[in-house]
Amino acid sequence: MTWLQRLFTMTVKELKQLSRDPILLVVIAYFFTADIYIAASGIHMDLRQASLAVLDHDHSESSRELIHRFQPPWFELKGELSDTHQARRMLDAGEVLAVIDIPEHFQRDLERGRQVSVQMQVDASNSVLGTLVTTYATQIASRFSQEKAQELHGRLKLETLPAVLDRHRVWYNPNQNDTWFMSISELLTVITMLSLMLPAAAAVREKERGTIEQLVVSPLTPAQILLPKVLSMGLVVLAGTAVSLFLMIVPAFGVPIKGSIPLFFAVTALYVFATAGLGLFIATLSRTLGQVVMLVILVMMPILLLSGAWTPPEAMPEFLRRAMVLSPLSYFIEMAYGILLKGAGVKLLWDSILGLALLGSLLFGFGVWRFRRQFG
Amino acid sequence: MNLHRVAAIAYKEWREVVRDRLFTIMAFGIPVITLLVLGYGVSLDVERIPFAVLDQDRSELSRDYLHRFIDSRYFDFKGEVSDERALEALLSDSRIRFAIVIPPRFGQRLREGRPVAVQSLVDGVFTYRAQVSKGYVAAINGDFNRRLLLDHLARKRGLSRQRGETMVEPVQLEVRYLYNQAIRSRWSMSSGLIMLVLMFSPPFLTALGVVREKENGSIYNIYASTVSRGEFILGKLLPYVAISAINVMVLWWLVILVFGAPFKGILLFYLPASLVFVVCTTGIGLLVSLLVRTQAAAALLTIVITFIPAMLFSGLLVPIESMNPEARFEAHLFPAIYYLQAVWGVFLKGLGWKGLWQPVAALVAYAAVIWFMGLMLFHKRPGR
Amino acid sequence: METDATTVIRLRGFEKRYRRQVAVRGVDLEVRSGEIYGLIGPDGAGKSSLMKAVAGVLAHDGGRVEVFGITVDSEAAAERIKGRIGFMPQGLGLNLYPELSVEENIDFFARLREVPAAELARRKAKLLAMTRLAPFRDRPMKHLSGGMKQKLGLVCTLIHEPELVILDEPTTGVDPVSRRDFWAILAEMLRERGITTLVSTAYLDEADRFHRLSLLYEGTVLATGEPDQLRAHAGGDDTDLEQVFVSLLRDQGVAEEVTASVPSTTTPGNEAAIEARELTRDFGHFRAVDRVSFRVRRGEIFGLLGANGAGKTTVIKMLTGILPPTSGSGQVAGADMGHAGHRIKRRIGYMSQAFSLYRDLSVMENLRLFAGIYGVPRRQRKARLRQLIDTTGLAGNERRLAGDLPMGIRQRLALACALVHRPRVLFLDEPTSGVDPLGRRRFWNILLRMAREEGVAILITTHYMSEAEQCDLLALMHAGRIIADASPTELKARLERDAGKLLELDCDRPLVALETLEAAGYRGVSLFGRKLHLLSRRPERAREKIEILLRSKGVRLLALRPRPPTLEDVFIYRILEQEAAS
Repeated sequence: MTWLQRLFTMTVKELKQLSRDPILLVVIAYFFTADIYIAASGIHMDLRQASLAVLDHDHSESSRELIHRFQPPWFELKGELSDTHQARRMLDAGEVLAVIDIPEHFQRDLERGRQVSVQMQVDASNSVLGTLVTTYATQIASRFSQEKAQELHGRLKLETLPAVLDRHRVWYNPNQNDTWFMSISELLTVITMLSLMLPAAAAVREKERGTIEQLVVSPLTPAQILLPKVLSMGLVVLAGTAVSLFLMIVPAFGVPIKGSIPLFFAVTALYVFATAGLGLFIATLSRTLGQVVMLVILVMMPILLLSGAWTPPEAMPEFLRRAMVLSPLSYFIEMAYGILLKGAGVKLLWDSILGLALLGSLLFGFGVWRFRRQFG
Repeated sequence: MNLHRVAAIAYKEWREVVRDRLFTIMAFGIPVITLLVLGYGVSLDVERIPFAVLDQDRSELSRDYLHRFIDSRYFDFKGEVSDERALEALLSDSRIRFAIVIPPRFGQRLREGRPVAVQSLVDGVFTYRAQVSKGYVAAINGDFNRRLLLDHLARKRGLSRQRGETMVEPVQLEVRYLYNQAIRSRWSMSSGLIMLVLMFSPPFLTALGVVREKENGSIYNIYASTVSRGEFILGKLLPYVAISAINVMVLWWLVILVFGAPFKGILLFYLPASLVFVVCTTGIGLLVSLLVRTQAAAALLTIVITFIPAMLFSGLLVPIESMNPEARFEAHLFPAIYYLQAVWGVFLKGLGWKGLWQPVAALVAYAAVIWFMGLMLFHKRPGR
Repeated sequence: METDATTVIRLRGFEKRYRRQVAVRGVDLEVRSGEIYGLIGPDGAGKSSLMKAVAGVLAHDGGRVEVFGITVDSEAAAERIKGRIGFMPQGLGLNLYPELSVEENIDFFARLREVPAAELARRKAKLLAMTRLAPFRDRPMKHLSGGMKQKLGLVCTLIHEPELVILDEPTTGVDPVSRRDFWAILAEMLRERGITTLVSTAYLDEADRFHRLSLLYEGTVLATGEPDQLRAHAGGDDTDLEQVFVSLLRDQGVAEEVTASVPSTTTPGNEAAIEARELTRDFGHFRAVDRVSFRVRRGEIFGLLGANGAGKTTVIKMLTGILPPTSGSGQVAGADMGHAGHRIKRRIGYMSQAFSLYRDLSVMENLRLFAGIYGVPRRQRKARLRQLIDTTGLAGNERRLAGDLPMGIRQRLALACALVHRPRVLFLDEPTSGVDPLGRRRFWNILLRMAREEGVAILITTHYMSEAEQCDLLALMHAGRIIADASPTELKARLERDAGKLLELDCDRPLVALETLEAAGYRGVSLFGRKLHLLSRRPERAREKIEILLRSKGVRLLALRPRPPTLEDVFIYRILEQEAAS
C-alpha cells in the first residue's frame, strides 16, 4: 500500500512540475495541434501545376488540341519554345519540369494512319517529381490517343474488343485523401517524440538540479522514481492525443474512426510505455537537457525511418525491411492505422501488440537497469 | 577588425570542440549518420508490394495474366485465396497491400472478344503507395490489353502487327528522362540530403557552442575584454564553418561512393556554393543562440526551424509544385530551396556558375542579412 | 600609475532592475586607487549586478557609474574602459574553458588581450610559480581541484596586468587553505603593481583582508568603512564582523534576536548513532577515502572539515548508502550499512551540497512530497508539517515557490524536508554555503535544538570556521584521511602547543613587512588588510627581534599583540604540515 502511495505522490509531483513549466506546455500544445495541422494540410503528394513548355513543330489543329490537354491543376503551360537549345536551357535552369516536342507533319501523319511519336523530356533530377509528371502525362497522351483512334476508326467499338478493364477500388481511404495519412502519421510521430523526450527531460532535470540525490537517499526504489515519470508524461501524451484526434484530426480533415477507440488508446498507452523506456535510457546517458534533446533526435531518426511513416516498407531495401522489428513505431503505425482506418480489432492485431509489449518491457527494463547502475 | 584576436578566439573554440568527445562525435558523426540512414531509408522506389489473388476462372489466360504481376519486381506474391472474405482479412491485417480478383469466365469472355472487368483492391492508407500501385496496375493492364487487341485484330481482320498498333494507338508518348535516366530516387535523394544535413547540422553545432558559453558564464570574458562584436562573432563561428566545410567534402564523397550518384558538374562550383550555404546556416545558428539561454532550448529551436523546413518545404520530399500557395511562400523563406537547386544542378545536371548563379546569389544575400542581424542582436553590455 | 588619492570607481545613486524586480537601489560607492575594496553581503544582495555594471558588461537602469573618470552609460563608453580592467565573474572556474589545459587557458586570455609573446612568457612563468600551478600546466582545466580552478581564474584575469580587477565571489566554496593562497597572490599583485581591486565575498571572516568595505543587504548599502571603523560602530574591538553585520540588520529592523546557545535536555548516551570503521573508497586507481574511522553519539554534532576533494562528500555518500565502500564497515542509526541500506534510508535525513528541492513547487508542496516519500501516515501528516513549519520558522511562506525564496529560507526548507520523518541521524553537506550570517545563525539554532532536545546525531561539513566552532567534535580531512580529530578547543590548544602563539602585527608598510618576515623564515605570515598575522613559538621574545628586522627595512612597528588562534589557523597549519610531510 505504501508502495502505491509513494508512486502516487511522485506522479502528482511530476504533473505539478509540468504544469508550472509554461514553455514546455506551449511546446506540447504546439506539437499536438498546429504542427499536425501544418503537416497534414500543407503537403500533397499529387501533382499540382507542374511547369511545362512546348516545342510545336507542326502548329496544327491536332497539335494544339494535344497541348491544351495539359492543363491546371496538374500542369501549367509556360509557353511555346522556338528551338531545342532554349528547351534545354530552361530545363537546366529548372524553369520547367518537362518539355513536349511535337514533330512536323503531326496532323498529316495522324490522318494518314501512321503512328506518330510525341517526345517528352522530363527533368528527373528530382525522381519523385519526374515520376509524377510522367505518370500524368502518359495518361493524358493515351486518352488523346484513344480518342483519335475512335475518331479515325469509328468502327472499332470498345465493347466488341477484348480488354481487361481495371475496376480499381481503394479501400480505407477511397478518395485518396492525403490529409488522412499525413495527419495520423504526424500524430504518431509527435507521440513518439514526446514520449521519448518528456520522461527523459523529467529525469535529467532531477540530475541537473541535484534533486536526484535527495530521492536516492530516500527509501524510494529506482522503479518508484522512474515509473511516475512515465505515468505522468504518459497521461499528458494520451490527453494530447485525445485532443488532437477529437478536436482536430476528425473535425478538420474528416478522418473516419472505424475501430474501437478504447483499443486505440490502450495500444497508444502501451506504445508510450515502450518509448518512454528508451527515453529513460537516454536520460541515464546525458547530463544536461541539451544532451537529451540531441540524443532524442539521433534516436528518433532511425525509429522514424524504420517505421514506415515516411517511406513505405515496400520502398526499403531488404535489410532495412528486416530491421523494422527494432522500431517500436513500426508496430504502432500498423496498429494505429489498423484500428483507426481499417477497423481492425484485437484478434487481428495480437501479434503486433505482443511484439510491442515485448520490446517495451525490454527497453523499460534496460532503462531501469542503467539507472540503478548509475545511482547505486 | 583585429585579426589576431579573431584568430585567438577561433583557435580556442577549435581546441574546445576537438577536445570535447561528445561534441566531436556530433560534429562529424551526425552528418554522416543522417546521410546514410536517410539515404537508405527515405526511398520512394516502391517495389515488392505484397499482394494476393482470388482467381475464380483458373483458365490458361487468367494464369497468364496473373503471372505478369507475380513475375514483376514491383509486386511480391503472397498466395492465392479461395474467397473474397479472406482477401479482406489479409488487407485489414496489413499482410497484403493489394489484391486482384479475377471473375469467372475471364478467359472465355476475352477469347470471345469481349471486355472483362477485373477488380483490384488497394490498401489506401498510405496514399503515395496506393497511387504508385495504381500506376503499376495500369501499366501491366495496358500492356496486356495491347497484346490481346493485336492478337484479336490479327485473328479477326488479318491485320499485321504494325498496322494494328497504329490503329490502336495512333499517338505515342516517348518519355526521355534527363539527368537521371534510370530515374533512381537514390541519386536524387542522396545528393539532396547534402542539403538537409548542411541545413541543420551547422546551426545545431553553432547554437550549442555559443549558448554553452552563455550558459556557463565564460561569455563574460568576451564582454569584459576589448574584443569587438564583429571579431567575436567571426572568431567564434569560424571553427563551425570549418567543420561544416570538412563535412561538405565528406558528404560529397559519400554520395558518390556509397550511393553511386554521378557528379556531373565541377568542384569549383560545388565547393564555393556549399561554403556559402554553410555560412548561411551557421548564421541561423548564431541567431538562434542569441535568442535563447539554454542548450536544450537551442537544440529544440534549431530543429524546429531547420530540420522540418528542410525536410518538408525544400522540394526534397514534397515537390514545391505540389504545395499550396502559403506553403510555397514559406518554402522560399528558407535557404534550403536555393541550395537544393544548386546541389541537384551540379550533381545531376552538370551545371556550373552560368546556370546556377541565381540561387547562389540568393544564398549570398541571405547570408549577408542573417549575419548582419546577428551582429545587431549581439551586445557586449546586455540589460540582463 | 595614479596616486593614492585618485578615485578609480565612483557610483552615484546606482540602480539596477530585472523586469519589475529591483536588484540594487541608490548605491553610492567610491573606490580609490591601490586599495582592496570589499563588497560583503548574502546572495541576492546585489553584489553581482553592481560589479558587472562597473566592469561594463551589464547595462544599469539609474544613477551614474564612473570608471577611470569615464562615465559608463553606453556600450561604446564601456568599451573604452575594458582594456584597463580584469573581470572574473561568479562561479568557481565557470569562466574558464574546461577542455583546455591550464596553459592554453592562460594563452587564450593573453591573446585576447594582445599580450606580446615575450611578455606573456615572463608573466606566465611568474604567475604559475606563484600559484604553484606550474606542475599542472598541461592538465585540462576540468581536472583541477576547486582551489586550483580559482587560482587559474585569477591568473587569467591578471595576465594582461589590468589596473583594476573586479572579482565576484572568488572564494565561495573554496577551502581555507586555497583561500589563504588566493589572498596571498592578490597581496603580491598589490605590492608589485599597485592594482586596485573590487572584490565581493559571502565570508565575513575575510573582511579583515580589505582596506575598506561596504556591507550590502537587499540592494542597499548598510554600512561603509574600514573594518575597524565598522567594529567600533558595533561597539568593540574584538567583535567579529559577523556580529557587526547582525547588529546592523537589527538596527534596520530586519532581524530579531537569535540566541545561539541551547541548553541540552538529553544526555548524549554512549550509543553510537554513526560509526565508521576503516571506510575506504577507490575510484579506479584513485583512493578518495582512506581508512576513515569515527564515532558520533546521539545528540552530538560532528563536523567534517577539509579542502574540496578531500573526501568529505564521499564519506557522506557511503554512510547514506548512495555509494558502496570498497572496504570497511559502518553502522548508521542502529543498522549495518553493509546489508541494511534500505533500513538506514528510512532513518536518516540528508541535505546535499547544492539546493536540491523542487524550485517549481511551493514550500508546502515540497514538504507534502517528502512526507509522502517517507511514508508519514496521513493522519499525522498535517500536525507534523505544522510543527516543522514552526520549528524551522517557515510560517508565512507556505504558498511561495521554493525557487522564489531567499537563500536562507530555502535552506531551512531543505532542512525541514530532511526532518519530515523524524530521522535519528542527519547528514548535512555544506548546507549553508552562500547564506548570510543571520540566516546561518537561525539555521544553526535549529540544528542545536535538534541535537540537544531531540537527541539527533548530526554530521555536517562546512567551510565556515564560525560554524565549525559550534560543533562538539571536529575531524579534519586531507587527501582522503583524517589528520586531526578532537573538539574545537582541544584543536586550538594543540596548535599553540605545536606551533606557538598567533601574533597580530601592525606597521606602517605592511607589504614590505610581509616580504621581510617571510624571507626571515617566520611561519604563517599572512596579510589581513593593513595588518599581518604570524606564528611564533616564543612570543615574549618575538617583539624585539621583529622590530629590529623591520627597522632594517625601514618599516616602523606600531603594535604587536597576541591573538587567540582561530580554527582557520588550525586548519591551515595542519594541512600545510601534511603537505610538507608528503
